[in-house]
Amino acid sequence: MGVKIRVKGIVQGVGFRPFVYRIAKKNNLKGYVKNMGNYVEIFVEGKKEDIENFINDLKNKKPPLSRIDKLDIKEIKETKEFDDFYIINSENTKEEEEGTIPADVAICDDCLAEMLDKNNRRYRYPFIACTNCGPRFTIVEKLPYDRENTSMRDFPLCGECLKEYKNPLDRRFHAQATCCPICGPKVFLSDGKDIIAEKDEAIREAVKLLEEGKILAIKGIGGTHLACKVSEDEPVLNLRERLGRPTQPFAVMSKVEYIELFAEIDKDEKNALVSLRRPIVVLRKNQDYDKYFSKYVSNLDTIGVMLPYSGLHYLLFDKEIAYVMTSANLPGLPMVKDNDEILKKLNDIADYFLLHNRRIVNRCDDSVVKKVANRLVFLRRSRGFAPEPIKVDIENNKNILCVGAELNSTACIVKRNKFYLTQYIGNTSKYETFCYLRDAINNILRLTNTNKIDAIVCDLHPQFNSTKLAEELAEKFGVEVFRVQHHFAHAYSLLGDNNYFDDAIILSLDGVGYGLDGNIWGGEVLLFKDCKMERVGHLEEQYQLGGDLATKYPLRMLLSILYKAIGEDVFDFIKGYNFFSEKELKLLKFQLEKKLNCPITTSTGRVLDAVSSLLGVCFEKTYDGEPSIRLEPVANRFKGDIEVEPRIKNNVLNTTELIYKSYEMLLNNESREKIAYFAHIYIADGLFEIAKKIANRFGINAIGITGGVSYNKIITERIMANVKKEGFNFIYHQRVPNGDGGISFGQGISYLFREG
Amino acid sequence: ITSVNGGIGLESLDDSATIPIGDKEIVFTVDGHTVKPIFFPGGDIGRLAVSGTVNDLAVMGAKPLALSLSLIIPEGFNLEDLEKIVKSINETSKEAEVAIITGDTKVSDGVDDIIISTAGIGIVDRGKAIRDCNVQEGDAIIVSGNIGEHGLAILLSREGFDFETNIKSDVAPINKLIEKVLNEGIQINAMKDPTRGGLADALNEMAEKSNVGITIFEDKIPISDEVQSICDILGLDPLTIANEGKVVMAVKKEDAERCLEILREHPLGKNAELIGYATKEHKGVVMETIVGRRIVDMPIGDPIPRVC
Ligand SMILES: [Fe+3]
Ligand SMILES: [Mg+2]
Ligand SMILES: [Zn+2]
Ligand SMILES: [Zn+2]
Repeated sequence: MGVKIRVKGIVQGVGFRPFVYRIAKKNNLKGYVKNMGNYVEIFVEGKKEDIENFINDLKNKKPPLSRIDKLDIKEIKETKEFDDFYIINSENTKEEEEGTIPADVAICDDCLAEMLDKNNRRYRYPFIACTNCGPRFTIVEKLPYDRENTSMRDFPLCGECLKEYKNPLDRRFHAQATCCPICGPKVFLSDGKDIIAEKDEAIREAVKLLEEGKILAIKGIGGTHLACKVSEDEPVLNLRERLGRPTQPFAVMSKVEYIELFAEIDKDEKNALVSLRRPIVVLRKNQDYDKYFSKYVSNLDTIGVMLPYSGLHYLLFDKEIAYVMTSANLPGLPMVKDNDEILKKLNDIADYFLLHNRRIVNRCDDSVVKKVANRLVFLRRSRGFAPEPIKVDIENNKNILCVGAELNSTACIVKRNKFYLTQYIGNTSKYETFCYLRDAINNILRLTNTNKIDAIVCDLHPQFNSTKLAEELAEKFGVEVFRVQHHFAHAYSLLGDNNYFDDAIILSLDGVGYGLDGNIWGGEVLLFKDCKMERVGHLEEQYQLGGDLATKYPLRMLLSILYKAIGEDVFDFIKGYNFFSEKELKLLKFQLEKKLNCPITTSTGRVLDAVSSLLGVCFEKTYDGEPSIRLEPVANRFKGDIEVEPRIKNNVLNTTELIYKSYEMLLNNESREKIAYFAHIYIADGLFEIAKKIANRFGINAIGITGGVSYNKIITERIMANVKKEGFNFIYHQRVPNGDGGISFGQGISYLFREG
Repeated sequence: ITSVNGGIGLESLDDSATIPIGDKEIVFTVDGHTVKPIFFPGGDIGRLAVSGTVNDLAVMGAKPLALSLSLIIPEGFNLEDLEKIVKSINETSKEAEVAIITGDTKVSDGVDDIIISTAGIGIVDRGKAIRDCNVQEGDAIIVSGNIGEHGLAILLSREGFDFETNIKSDVAPINKLIEKVLNEGIQINAMKDPTRGGLADALNEMAEKSNVGITIFEDKIPISDEVQSICDILGLDPLTIANEGKVVMAVKKEDAERCLEILREHPLGKNAELIGYATKEHKGVVMETIVGRRIVDMPIGDPIPRVC
């Protein structure tokens, strides 16, 4: 008998065809396997039981990186056409169906062992790869994922590599990124003007320079890092100054055997770290941390750590146990990826440049995860994950393009029940990043074979550049733009992430989002009932003194909120911080009294900011969320428990009371740790109180939390504890970022729940 | 009907309309002025009423000829104030060398404060009117002086800010300044007065109507330290603040340097700067800053926070 099988899922670039070849041979079958761009087609003929065994093997023994989403099996007549089993070259399919683009995969153990084996022909060759590992998404130009459609096409295989590539029993059979020192990309070291070393010498020299305390730009797989040693202050401070990043914690790269020297790590975190996706994992520092790290690497009680994920990274380790490895971009701008650009833009930042001659097609920043509420959640979902789709149990036959928000932006294309999120894009208020968003959208459309768009979804904010892009694209595709309120999008993203579409109360908490009433929202209690979303409670409305300036300088929020509680005395109090000049204070008073450029906000972020400045933790935001992010470790140091009595009226949580109480505690010489903890608990308990009341009124049994504030462990875990204690189900993120990186996903879900 | 004899009409939403007659075009505009307070540092509603209309004619490349003047005065309006306003109107029209040849005055209990409407007529050679929709790729973008002064002066004095500041409105007729540039044979492809919505609005409109992009350089934009520092404290963007005595020109690249020289010789143009170029590389207005390029939006009323 004969059967034709269509396999959909992650079946490209993961050694799937060689696997099929092997099991076909094992089961004495003849026929072929063919890559169809977005699925794999198999034809086998032979004995019935052999075919049954073959299908069992297909399901149960598939390669580690592959995933089968759908298996169509059709019996057909025997052809007797084939004298053996063959792997047939790729064909482009005409059907408009999404393909699957594999994400990048870290170097596998086999390749690593070869690279460290003196007798191997790829000894210390940093671009070593096989069917189970290496770059995918970052080098692919179009589907199908074959060598000639990637930037590896610049490197024709040498005789020996070709032999491996063609041998079905070799590890590198059809490994699209395979290469060797003879035929593959080459590294070189530049001092900014000249090439000073090449190949292995370049790497050895780079290691030496790093150990000497130099700052290096290192072009890796999907982007560029700035690297320096972590053990001394000077290189780290130099890097901070040159980058204009005074305090933002740097991520580091270390080897698995060193991590427990400086950080606490549990099983889940370790699994994430060593996984082939290799995200940055935010770990808690241990008591020995300071022995190994300059205090300027991270001023939080956590440190973001990743393991080497390419051969090149492994070769950087000799004496040092860790390096700062931060994305090579100026604040707000995309990471640089092309050699010319790296040399030009990082000229004043890096001392040396470790580069190579393989093009990065798709830039892809490192992913970041952190354990909150017993779950690893995405701070950033990018390398190793993008652009793998996220599946949702929901029916849909439209192609929906969602352009996201503005900060930490991603876009998303929805096809049927699959949500393809782009890699991390960044802050699209910058023109360069805006262009990156546009490119990433074109790219994801191409990689999913999407020629037709049925709807475009964007944020409600009238000034987001993504909103303008949505309008532009809507005109191009001749479709309508559907606008989704920011916090509703967060809430829908939470629901979709969990495949939970029953009634729920959702706390949607973050820094800023344009509200349905034209004010700024960010501390919202939302009711999802009968498939409709509604705002039913929120934080008290406060004036955001000077608009975005109040986000940059949190004392402005303190001033504005405390003014409500103690009136003009606040000016004398604020003066004590010696932060504002006479003239500024006078203008601020004028501004506050006249409510000039004082938009109204219910943001949770702004309230935490106010506390942060009250306690002298942070007076100027130099990265997103800094004042509240730095407040959390202060609160963490508080041991014990306190009772709070949040003041609530008409489902609005009184935050003036929170700030006033904190102020009073400060005047009474209570510890900063206690006050910081109090503020967190006040918000958590207050919002839970409102959620509970509404849940009980409507007989709802699930309460969830989303938005950037839900990265805060104290608030999230306190709410979770309350939710569970009172017998509700707790909904929290798992596959989609809690913050604005998940907005595009939520926009898609929201569109599917639109009325009419 | 929104246009006459093939001239520039209402639908163009340009600074003025035109009516071609023979080998000339009559340039025509009208503006109603209300401002709070009516007397402000650097000017008053009278000076504003004359300058606004003269400037709308002048930025069409026209020679302003004459104005009409219509006053609507609330009952019980202070006579001394009225005298001061009329005197200021006269002085400003003298300064602009534009006659006021017809007028009307009404007293009404239906208005809260004085309203002054001025219509103006100017003349330009046929086909020579300068539009705001004709910026050419590569043109140099020039602004005739410090921005943001009028809007900020009004804001501070309206809200009763009594703190010592030197900020004065720039309100002035700039027809003489523009005439000087035109007389020297500078090729101005497009021109606009950056009034409401400020420079950001004017540039966005010019770019959109001309189907080009405009790149500007943050460090080239003329702003006084005082305006900058007050904007920095209040969280306002000086690019979006109104001006009443400034002009934005798109000048043929080769003429740019000479245009700047000519402008700078005149007291009203002494802070003129070349702030950028027109380009086909992007749409809209993009500003080069020390950290990357910012998209300069079309202002929409009050700024809305967007930073997390
Ligand atoms: Fe958000
Ligand atoms: Mg005008
Ligand atoms: Zn491998
Ligand atoms: Zn080779």
